[in-house]
Amino acid sequence: MSLAQAEAHELELEQPAGLWKDAVQRLKRNPGAIIGALLISMFVFLALFADVITSYGPGEQVGSLGGNGSPPSSEFWFGLDKQGRDYFSRVVYGARLSLLVGVVSVSVGLSIGLVLGSIAGYFGRWVDGLLMRIIDIMLAIPSFLLAIGLVTLLGRGLVQVMIAVGATQVPLFARLLRGGILAQKESDYVLAARSLGAPGPRLLLRHIIPNSLSPVIVQATLSMATAIIEVAALSFVGLGPSQPGLPEWGLMLADSASRLEQGLHLVLFPGIAIVLSTLGFNMVGDGLREALDPKLKS
Amino acid sequence: MLRFVVRRLLQLIPILLGVSILLFAFVRALPGGPAIALLGERATEESVERIETELGLDQPIYVQYGRYVRNLVQGDLGTSTRSRQPVLEELKQKFPATVELAFAAMLFAIILGIPLGFLAAKRYLGFLDNASLFVSLIGISFPVFFLALLLKYVFAIKLGWLPTVGRVDVTRSIEHPTNFYLLDAVLTRDWEGVVDVLKHLVLPAIALGTIPLAIVARITRAAVLDVLNEDYVRTARAKGLDPSVVDRRHVMRNAMLPVVTVIGLQTGLLLTGAVLTETVFAWPGMGSWMLEAIRFRDYAVIQGGILFFALLVSLTNLAVDVSYAYLNPKIRLSR
Repeated sequence: MSLAQAEAHELELEQPAGLWKDAVQRLKRNPGAIIGALLISMFVFLALFADVITSYGPGEQVGSLGGNGSPPSSEFWFGLDKQGRDYFSRVVYGARLSLLVGVVSVSVGLSIGLVLGSIAGYFGRWVDGLLMRIIDIMLAIPSFLLAIGLVTLLGRGLVQVMIAVGATQVPLFARLLRGGILAQKESDYVLAARSLGAPGPRLLLRHIIPNSLSPVIVQATLSMATAIIEVAALSFVGLGPSQPGLPEWGLMLADSASRLEQGLHLVLFPGIAIVLSTLGFNMVGDGLREALDPKLKS
Repeated sequence: MLRFVVRRLLQLIPILLGVSILLFAFVRALPGGPAIALLGERATEESVERIETELGLDQPIYVQYGRYVRNLVQGDLGTSTRSRQPVLEELKQKFPATVELAFAAMLFAIILGIPLGFLAAKRYLGFLDNASLFVSLIGISFPVFFLALLLKYVFAIKLGWLPTVGRVDVTRSIEHPTNFYLLDAVLTRDWEGVVDVLKHLVLPAIALGTIPLAIVARITRAAVLDVLNEDYVRTARAKGLDPSVVDRRHVMRNAMLPVVTVIGLQTGLLLTGAVLTETVFAWPGMGSWMLEAIRFRDYAVIQGGILFFALLVSLTNLAVDVSYAYLNPKIRLSR
């Protein structure tokens, strides 16, 4: 082995594991994060294989119409709803809808927020001032009312609901990324790269943004939980996706809310599904926060 | 300090103007309109036009906005198209209902949350700590309407201990000098009324207070953990101070800073975020009022209500910042 090779070898050994590798190691040792990940995997599994797992379609009528549905039995695990549909199938298909809604609306909020946040953080001065005032205005309106307003404005299609919920998350992401960028901009490595003549946009995209992303990723995970609840809440007040017969957990809850006594199971199962799925995302988000926080690293 | 408060108050003006312009454009962009909402889908064109003229909706939008702002500055929020009542009058009815609910909920959260967080920190990584972390995680993950329905089912329907809806029994008539029903009942020395109002308040307050409870407990735990590792706590213990005095005077007092902040911010959220709880318990507050207004395209109510919310949120944030600066000399000196 030549001296140069030996040096290279040594350098390799000293290479730190990197933020993400470290984070994954720490996540694996966090029981909360593992339980959360298991919960999320379960719902992803239900969503992907809904048609294999269930024996009936979500809108298929298998029992008699009217009445208050029938309670859980060995044939229909979660009972039947008042339209005689298998409730287990509906809850399982609901996972598909809720995950879809969560992913799409968080992506909407995340991407708009990221663009606004990086523009504000990078350009600073009046651009920053203007964008942050717009964010302030959005934050001054209660987020659920904002979502209600947007749905009323855009209409009650599934896509519109996802956009509305996503829009309420824009301020959060924009602020987080802006804060991160402002902190990174002054750091030594950015000054070093700048003095070496690295062009601005490249600096922003290759160095500053990637290094500001960890709080954003944590927030995105937690926002999945918020989005699932928010869509269910919109349905609950009668402003959710309006396609008839859609197996949406919030809608299923709302449909049975006025007849609690006759059909508690009709409220219980979709409610538990919402709680478990949001719990999963919250647990993973918490775990990620601990894993990515350099302060806890020592 | 005073300069800071004044500057922040001045900054509010453009934000509120921005909100009002946005709202003004927003309500007019909504499909349908107050005339259709009042008359129904099959209204004739003439009757729609007549109502719109009556409401001044046939004029150019900048004229309408100018008139709106002029009235606003004089404290006139306009008239509800649905109830024909001045918006301000309705606000005086609805807002106390929401304040009463939000404060009861926050009280529940504080009374349980701070001791829970404190105990968890004292038993760091012990059973109680893990249990409280888990419970607060569930609390955060529980949709408020689901919790509200479950509480209603168990305590109102099954056990029959508490009423299911409203602020007070429909058969009871109490005087309303303030519209804070609890205060009204106390002021008029109607003790049965006090009990009745309290009974109506319990379930909605618990439902609404659970998420703040979880958050307050988590923040208290984290703050106390931080402080427990401080040198001055070790010193206080080393000089033989009674542990309960250390906890009270050194730990809690210093740990309260972030907790106070969170309590303030959460109260702001509760004042504006009670839509779902109010829906489940038919609580006649701001949330259900706004929902109705949007449904019936009641322009003046939507504009007035949300503008009021925006003012409220901004003032709460300001109060939090001020109290923070007041409690923490380091921040106070840097301003």
